[in-house]
Amino acid sequence: MTDQSLEGVPSIRAVRFPLRWGVLCAAALIALYVIPDALSNYWLRTFISAAALTIASLSVGPLFAQVGMVSLAQFGLLGVGGWFALRISHGLGAPFEIALLCAGLSAALVGLIVGLPALRMRGLYLAIITLMMAGAIQVLISAFGFPDGGPGILGKSTGARLMMARPFVAQSDQAYLRYAVVVTVFCYLLVLAHVRGRPGRAWAMIRRSEVCALAGGVDIVAYKVWAFALAGFLAGVAGAVLAGGVGQLDGSAFPASQSIMLFALTIVGGAYSWFGPIIAGLMLRAFPALLNDFRVDGNIATMVFGIGLLHALITAPHGIAGQLSDLAGRLRRVLGRERKAGP
Amino acid sequence: MIEIDDLTVQFGGVRGLSELTARLPESVTGLVGPNGAGKTTLINVLSGFVRPTAGRVSIDGQDLKDIAIHKRAGFGIRRTFQNEQVVENLTAADNIRAILDNVPIDGRPRTALIEQALEFVGLAAKGNVLGRDLNAYQRRMLEIARAMVGRPRLVMMDEPGAGLAQHESEHLRDVIRQLHGHCGAQVLLVDHDVDLISATCMATLVLDFGSAIAYGPTASVLAEPKVREAYLGMLEDAT
Ligand SMILES: Nc1ncnc2c1ncn2[C@@H]1O[C@H](COP(=O)(O)OP(=O)(O)O)[C@@H](O)[C@H]1O
Ligand SMILES: [Mg+2]
Repeated sequence: MTDQSLEGVPSIRAVRFPLRWGVLCAAALIALYVIPDALSNYWLRTFISAAALTIASLSVGPLFAQVGMVSLAQFGLLGVGGWFALRISHGLGAPFEIALLCAGLSAALVGLIVGLPALRMRGLYLAIITLMMAGAIQVLISAFGFPDGGPGILGKSTGARLMMARPFVAQSDQAYLRYAVVVTVFCYLLVLAHVRGRPGRAWAMIRRSEVCALAGGVDIVAYKVWAFALAGFLAGVAGAVLAGGVGQLDGSAFPASQSIMLFALTIVGGAYSWFGPIIAGLMLRAFPALLNDFRVDGNIATMVFGIGLLHALITAPHGIAGQLSDLAGRLRRVLGRERKAGP
Repeated sequence: MIEIDDLTVQFGGVRGLSELTARLPESVTGLVGPNGAGKTTLINVLSGFVRPTAGRVSIDGQDLKDIAIHKRAGFGIRRTFQNEQVVENLTAADNIRAILDNVPIDGRPRTALIEQALEFVGLAAKGNVLGRDLNAYQRRMLEIARAMVGRPRLVMMDEPGAGLAQHESEHLRDVIRQLHGHCGAQVLLVDHDVDLISATCMATLVLDFGSAIAYGPTASVLAEPKVREAYLGMLEDAT
């Protein structure tokens, strides 16, 4: 029977992966050490933002790919995280790590509220409600602005704007890029622990169908809320990384439309794959920067993204990452055939 | 022991169940009746998906209205579905692990419980295979494995035999026969296959238009004229 041949696959993988992962990790560490020093200031800042947006995209992906829920409020939650990071950093002079954690927790709380409608709605209605939440966040942020070292609850300064303190170990742009990448890795591990663990199994059942989940004893409400809280946490962390990278945040930089863009590019990048969010992060920040470098209008990026989204929706539901892994699989098969054909 | 008292389920103008009263003490009980008789509705009431309009149901003396839907699996009410509900993107083993996350396991190691369950339904070699790569029969079996892990009190199966090949039906029959002995749960079996019901069920409840028209030892119930009359319709539907 055909499935006999399938049985062999997982065991082969299990043997091959540790070595390959070891090599990959070593290569990544070396790259992390070498590359930042070779980059110009412009590209350093671009990649710092790209790392933050990779985390942001990571917050959209699991919600969509694991639970099948759409949140169009994630970029707004980035703003929430950024606001709390700045407030705590300026107000209390807290170390960056504390500000990062508080940003994550506060955005998780707001994300949880964003997710409450998900208990009653899904699909388009849920998307619209979360978009409205993003709109509300946009209104609040543009009304009150981001803290920049001033007094009071809002922390608005009337004189010179202060920059957010960077982590003690990562004061230079080079070091901060490395720091941002390490934070991104931690975020990936957090998501991985969820997906591989009990929440991941519960989410998979909810996604299969609610009767399947209920019959399996899954507390659907709790796990949906938890998914939104986790997504909020990641978005908040992304906001803090962004705030630390730039030093301050602009009240007009978190419109609801960015949330749509983030969601769309997560789909284009590949919500079901591990490197999808990285592709999305690079597309959101590095691609427009690249166009800028070639003196092409950065707004063309938006058009390209639109075409990419259409393409993804029509032909590649697993996004660019899915296509890349298809391609890799095909290459491997071709190479394998050659090896077999050879001596 | 399942106790059903004056159970009525009203779907708008349609009656799914109509003042059904029954005591089902046997370890393996059949539930038969023509299409639309209310068999699935009864299972849905027991699993909590459908709220009774009137009446009550209890299992082992515990009134079910006090148990929230998602707590019923932990209480021991488990089921398979007429439309199979295997999770495609989890492996067979993880499909079972997902249930073990939410039911009492009495401190036994999960991996061993999963292996036992897969072994019991004949999927011992499929633990690492994704749900989507299992065929229809293997999925059916995996659903049974999911329903019997942990500490089930009642395992309900909604037409597990539908559309199976001959040798598959025979295996299914063996599995159902051994189920009670293996996990101690009472089994409630809905199926159109009279041979399967006769071979596995000590007692059988016959529903028609949402009410019980007969209950007793399987052989004698299936021989009753009014049951055969209801069956004629059913057999025509089934073919
Ligand atoms: N969710 C529902 N909404 C409306 N009517 C339903 C629903 N579920 C079942 N019914 C109706 O209740 C009756 C019993 O259905 P069901 O329990 O599925 O029958 P069986 O499983 O014995 O074939 C049928 O007339 C069916 O149309
Ligand atoms: Mg039915």
